[in-house]
Parts: sequence; structure tokens; C-alpha cells
Amino acid sequence: MADYREAPLATRPKTLDPNEYFNLSPEQRRLEESRMALRANLKRQYQIELNNPHRKELIEDPALTRWVYARANPYPNFRVTKKTSLLGAICGVVPLFVMYYVFKTDRDNKEAKIKAGTLKRKFSLLS
Amino acid sequence: MLNMAGVGFRMWAKALAKGRSSGLSALLSGCRAASGVSKGSLPGPYPKTPEERAAAAKKYNLTVQDYEPYPDNGEGFGDYPKLPDRSQQERDPWYQWDHPDLRRNWAEPMHWDFDMFIRNRVDTSPSPVPWSTMCKHLFGFIGFMLFMFYVGAKFPCYQPVAPKQYPYNDLYLERGGDPEKQPEEIKHYEI
Repeated sequence: MADYREAPLATRPKTLDPNEYFNLSPEQRRLEESRMALRANLKRQYQIELNNPHRKELIEDPALTRWVYARANPYPNFRVTKKTSLLGAICGVVPLFVMYYVFKTDRDNKEAKIKAGTLKRKFSLLS
Repeated sequence: MLNMAGVGFRMWAKALAKGRSSGLSALLSGCRAASGVSKGSLPGPYPKTPEERAAAAKKYNLTVQDYEPYPDNGEGFGDYPKLPDRSQQERDPWYQWDHPDLRRNWAEPMHWDFDMFIRNRVDTSPSPVPWSTMCKHLFGFIGFMLFMFYVGAKFPCYQPVAPKQYPYNDLYLERGGDPEKQPEEIKHYEI
């Protein structure tokens, strides 16, 4: 496996990362072990619930619940700062004025052309 | 379900018997079911002390060293962890994931933009050629073609054409000319 080359358009798997095997301190190895312990525990929990013959309902995923909750409720963590108010202004206030001016001038030009009789209706199906 | 009805009835009877608070508030206080999310397991505000960070890391099933919340600049993230921006397409296709189509294990912390990084959507896996090279090639080609089309439209180059030439003095009789009169001679050539 020393001459492994990753498949095109893919990242190298973590288990084949050379940094994992050379120059690793005991602290890093212990950290990796704790990560794997967490993961193994969750896998075990999932397998127990999955293979439970008395289970009738869906296995609720707490990470999914937290993700949905976090995405749907940013308001308690929102604070008025320069960046947030700038973003809010750009996305919420400026488009209103810009669109008003754009539509107004476009419609006024069209009205002037209609009055002058120079409007060309290229795609009109009525004539 | 019958069991729960019995429990509810008993709670109601006990509350009435105690008589401390009236009606609805008596039933609302007291115990609730232990199913569903517990209060401490939902995302909360940005963690400020190391104990809060440790508790948040435990909540999200991350090690304390891995747990890194989004910077606290009021954008609404709270204590949600900042995971690396890698799409699901990059994950090992041969590992036994709990959800193989999402390449994710149960209760694994989800990226804030998880729905963007699914395999149908944004992909961060490496490209065959550096991204800058790809951009240069594509936009260079498109730009060149657009430029050439513009030049071609400005300076059209077409085969030489002339008005169509008809015989018999420009079809004098066919065009309703007087047969008695002598038409003027029209020559379409030059020697």
C-alpha cells in the first residue's frame, strides 16, 4: 500500500494518510482513540436500537434534531452588529429601492414609447 | 395507550384531592414524560467558560479538542460546532455508514450546511486539474468565442452577390411590355 494513489476526484482516506503512521505523538494517538471511542459508542447504541425486536417507531436522531433546531432558531443568538446590520440592509432594504427604480424607469420608458407610437411588440401573438 | 389514560386519570384525581391549585394549573405542573428531547440536549448560546465548552462538546458528541464553535459575532450560530467544509461525496464510499446514501453515521454532528453538502449538491472533492486552471480554460474559451462572434458580426464577410439578371431584355414581353415597340437593349456583360 506504500504506492497507493488516490482515485481521481477523491480525497485520500484517513486510514491511508501517512501522517497517521509517522510522527504521531502519544497525545494525538490518545485523542484519536477518544474520537473512535465516541464513534464506536454511538454505533453500538444505533445497532442496539436498530435490532431491537420490540421497537415499533423510528429511531430518533438527536444530532438531526439539534441541527434542525439550530437552523430554525438563530434568533436568540442574533445580535445587532455592523456586519449583521449591513447584511440585513443589503438583502432586505436595498433590493426594495433598487427594484422600485428599475421597474419604474422601465415602465415609464414603455409608457412614453406607447404614447409616441414607437413600441415594438416583438412576441405579440395578437397581431 | 390505555396505561397512559390510567396514569392521566390518576394524576387528575390526585390533583383534585390535593386541592392546592385549581384545575388546569394542577394538571400542568408536576411530572412530564421522559421521552423526547431533554432540555439540555438542544443547541444553546455561545459557550463562554471552559466548562460550558466541555458541556457543549459532550452534547454534540465531539471531543473537547475537536469542538470549535462559530465565532461569536451575533450571526445566530450560538454554540453549534464549526465542522470542516467537506462534502459528503468526499467520505469513504466503502465504509459501512449507518445511512449509506448520506454517508453519515447515526448521531454524528451535522455540518451547519449539511443540506448543501449532500452528494446531489455541492461537492468539495479534488478536481483533476487545479480550480484556477479550470476556470481559466473555461472562461478563456467562452470569452474568445464571444469576442470572435462579436468581431464577425461587426465585420461580416460574405460571398459577392449582385441583383439577379434576366434574359430577353429583362423579360420585356413577360413583364407586359408592348410587343410592337422595340425594347431598349440591356446588356448584362462587359467585354
